[in-house]
Amino acid sequence: MNNTAVATSGQETAAIERPHTLARVMTWELRRFRASRLLWVQALGFFSLLLPVTWATQRTSQFDFGSNGGSISGFVAGTSTLGLIHNLPTLLTLLVLLLPFIAADGVARDLQRRTYELIMTTALPIRAYVWGRYLVALLISLGLALLMLAAILGMGVLLHLTVPEYPLPSVKAAVLLWVGMVLPAVVLVTSLVFAIVTLLPRLSTVVKVVTLVAWIVGSVVIPPGLRDQIPPSWYVNWDPTSAVTALGILPQYSFSEARMAASESQFQDAFMAIENKMPLVGSWFGSHLVLAALGLVVVVVVSLAFKRSRDVLV
Amino acid sequence: MELTIDRLSKRYGQRWALHQLSLRCEPGMLGLVGPNGAGKTTLMRMVATLLEPTEGAILWNGQDLRVDAQVLRQVLGYLPQDFGIYPEFTGRQFLRYLAAMNGLPSSLIKRRVDEVLEIVSMEQHADRNLPTYSGGMKQRIGIAQALINDPELLIVDEPTAGLDPSERVRFRTLLASLTSNRIVLLSTHIITDVEAVAGRLVILQEGKVLVDTTPDGLLARAVGTVWSVTTDQATALQLQAKFQVSTMVNQQNGVALRIVSATRPHEAAIATDGSLEEAYLMAVDGQTARV
Repeated sequence: MNNTAVATSGQETAAIERPHTLARVMTWELRRFRASRLLWVQALGFFSLLLPVTWATQRTSQFDFGSNGGSISGFVAGTSTLGLIHNLPTLLTLLVLLLPFIAADGVARDLQRRTYELIMTTALPIRAYVWGRYLVALLISLGLALLMLAAILGMGVLLHLTVPEYPLPSVKAAVLLWVGMVLPAVVLVTSLVFAIVTLLPRLSTVVKVVTLVAWIVGSVVIPPGLRDQIPPSWYVNWDPTSAVTALGILPQYSFSEARMAASESQFQDAFMAIENKMPLVGSWFGSHLVLAALGLVVVVVVSLAFKRSRDVLV
Repeated sequence: MELTIDRLSKRYGQRWALHQLSLRCEPGMLGLVGPNGAGKTTLMRMVATLLEPTEGAILWNGQDLRVDAQVLRQVLGYLPQDFGIYPEFTGRQFLRYLAAMNGLPSSLIKRRVDEVLEIVSMEQHADRNLPTYSGGMKQRIGIAQALINDPELLIVDEPTAGLDPSERVRFRTLLASLTSNRIVLLSTHIITDVEAVAGRLVILQEGKVLVDTTPDGLLARAVGTVWSVTTDQATALQLQAKFQVSTMVNQQNGVALRIVSATRPHEAAIATDGSLEEAYLMAVDGQTARV
């Protein structure tokens, strides 16, 4: 160690400039994530998983309403509008399995690693710290959601080029459904998980597990029980998983033309005319955006409630 | 610059970790010592604005930190007893990160990081990932981050714990070189660290200031209270049970003891010069034997 040359900048930093503290927190948090191999592995793994899952959604099914009363084989294109209404909740569930691990520990990780004290004794404003960490978690979560959209559209185009009669995905419909179903869910989950764990860092693991279980119950366990009935409209509108929302949208698709089909070919043509029709987005779209806004409100509350000083770190 | 601690108290449940503690600090190093649980870390964390006092106030240049703690944070460097790192970063990136969080202008960050790396002699290792650092290197990066904003108040909590003897000596000499034109609060268990570098020594016990003096002043208080005697094993054990024994060495002619006691502990005991550690024992253990 150099014990004599105590170079200083004349305590010039006492008059510290504080430009764009929020941008600084975000920039460095992004650098930290960029330097982490785990994030890239997660993103690559997620994208690699979505491609075959999307491919698998171009399923062939037996339909029981042919002209002669028998069954007809046909397929719903997984990346058509109708296919996306069916499949987005499932793909969203895959995404939500990752979100708590990205969002939860933005602030809590500092407490667990004991880097918290180093940061909290700097002149960094507390709001910039909390919001910077949150916005980066949200950006990464939205980045994964965009990867999901890219995987859907990319695989849709690939299937269109390689599978006869497979319709070209409608970018407009895909983006609209992504905004209505995926975006609010990502904002809501990221915000809630971040907010709760920031205030209660000891409960980080519990919050992650509860979030995953609750989402799986809402998107996988409950909807099958509602399949043969009309789900209540409040549930359709306010279901953050969009699984029940999808059940509420499906009755908009009329299969009367397909019922008149005399052959599988006519049936598939009629079906293609139906499956890329845009449904009425109705009130669920607005409700989902309200859910996203609620998530942001929770983060605002947490940023106001968050205290720099604490008797116990974690 | 002046740090004033005014009747500061901190209570955890029913227990007072600090009680009505007052101190006034000016540039120079203040060594804070005391037994475990004396309240050293609690005091450090409160001054570092990481803990809120239950009662009392801390003032930086007359400004109450309860009103605006940012005035202190802008000029504060803090090295906690146990601190974490970002394993994704190299030493240089870690320092640049904390410089940015401190609000240093981008134009200054690179230069200042180079300066503090030079101060702690870590230029050669600055581009290695932090998890590959040894304990001593990590501690040096710790002090480098505490110096990144060229602080007026530097708080270091047990900085030499876990360092090997030569690292410890170098580290405390480094600390001594940092005392000009700033206040340095050094908390430690190791009395020799304070002896070597601090101009002022405060002993805390049970959350209160027991002694506020200089190392020489503490030594002066111990004059006539340190005794040496060489005796047989059985007598040595009796003396150990009855008095505060600071050293006990088996020799060919018996057991050589150094005893801290206000009264002559044994008829063969000879008064001798005490060390700072013995003076500390005298102060903390109630000036007399454990009878």
